[in-house]
Amino acid sequence: MIESNDLSKTYKGKVRALESVSFRIDKRIVSFIGRNGAGKTTLLRILSTQLRPTSGTATVLGFDVMKEAQEIRKRIVSIPQEASTIGVLTPMEHVKMFLVARGFSFKAANDESLRALNEVELGEAKFRPADTLSGGMKRKVFVAMAFAANADVTFLDEPTTGLDPVSRFEVWSALKNLTGDVVLTTHYMEEAQELSDEVVLVDSGRILEKGEVKGLLRRFRGKVRVETNREGSGEFRIGRTFVSYVEESEAEKYLKNGFNMRRITLDDLFLVRGVEFEP
Amino acid sequence: MNLNLRFSLAFAWYYGFRTIKRGPSYVVASLSSPLTLLFLVGILSDGALIKYAVVGGFIGLVASVSFASVADAAFLRIQLRIQDLFVATSISPTDYILGITLSYLIFSTPGIVLYAIFGIILHIFTAQAVVALVLILFGLTLSASGMSMAIGGSVRHVRNVWGISAIMSVILTVLPPTFYPYTFLPKIYIYLLAISPTTPAAILAQGWFGFEPVMNVMIFVFIAQITIFFALARYLTRWREN
Repeated sequence: MIESNDLSKTYKGKVRALESVSFRIDKRIVSFIGRNGAGKTTLLRILSTQLRPTSGTATVLGFDVMKEAQEIRKRIVSIPQEASTIGVLTPMEHVKMFLVARGFSFKAANDESLRALNEVELGEAKFRPADTLSGGMKRKVFVAMAFAANADVTFLDEPTTGLDPVSRFEVWSALKNLTGDVVLTTHYMEEAQELSDEVVLVDSGRILEKGEVKGLLRRFRGKVRVETNREGSGEFRIGRTFVSYVEESEAEKYLKNGFNMRRITLDDLFLVRGVEFEP
Repeated sequence: MNLNLRFSLAFAWYYGFRTIKRGPSYVVASLSSPLTLLFLVGILSDGALIKYAVVGGFIGLVASVSFASVADAAFLRIQLRIQDLFVATSISPTDYILGITLSYLIFSTPGIVLYAIFGIILHIFTAQAVVALVLILFGLTLSASGMSMAIGGSVRHVRNVWGISAIMSVILTVLPPTFYPYTFLPKIYIYLLAISPTTPAAILAQGWFGFEPVMNVMIFVFIAQITIFFALARYLTRWREN
């Protein structure tokens, strides 16, 4: 269980990354979704004790991130955004080194590394230097670390950014099989929808909405999204596209007028809530 | 303070030994500068100062490899995000810094062996000198890596670190009396150059090898440098960022 109260973070140079964020999550897989710069990474780094907050409090598994960081560190794994492998080391060496850092003996680290690398389908590449691996394989090395560690909570910051669809699907499958709770950040709504028991929408350093995907999409029940490039023909504007949400019964009329129709996804919730939130 | 020595050793082994095995060109690169200076000193002094250059070669090699950790520390932290990965585990910044430091000592091993062969050929080793050299090289690795990691921890952009690393490696290794007798220098210059970890290491080595008088004050300078630079590295390494 993770909880935060009035958590704020202002970086040097007065950049406000988080503003009085309060929430409580206790589902198994929770996704923080939002645009680049929304504050997701800052929040995840504070929760995984890599970054100090400016004010407010947060607890992970009941331990305070400031006062009891060591207790938290024993129980979590945190895979940073854009974490990359060391070229001369093999996947096996990466995972073993990480497990030894977590207090495993060499023997246990060896056994668990083998198991985890097989689990994420890197078994055949386990002795290849990392600079010969594809981008997807390199990312899976970090998923294998999370897998092998058997932590109570695994934090993953944008685990599939930059991966091709097949690699992304493989990483998703591995993440679903992680033991313990998983907290991830993503700006891919489909990823949040596919993986999460609960999603938290973050924008401009604030929590916009939180809940199960179905519940969050309730406001769109019976509606479809229609869009066009015609100036002034929608409620919301994304670049040169104008978007409206209309009753399914009216969709035909819009299609005849040259609008495109799309299924409602979390993207739409983000679009609507993001605009509502803007001052 | 609880040290996770198992991690430090594992990191040192993987990061140091695997780099030798899978990137031998780095080893040759690290040897190129000391070997070139050995050649120059040998030619220019008509062989008279060659033993200084051999003992200096040990020190120059270990120092230049350790100064490279400016770049590595920043690269692992900013580019690869490996440091962040370890922050969220039970290890301390000391374990991490020690791991990187020891990896440089392992990485220097082929060069140390090469210089040992030169030393045997020139008959410069005594039992006392060998023990002194081992201690000096270990201390130098700690102080030079500590200094480099303190600087590497303060760097905000990776683009700056390669230049800083190269400047440090040349200035802090070649200017001090590493490859020439320290008695060639006026005392004031010796104290000015004592900011570099290479200076007390080289002066002590020249004294204990019997080439020059032993300058005992350098023992204190050397120990102070190890303590200060390692403490600075621990403080400036941005373990848990603000």
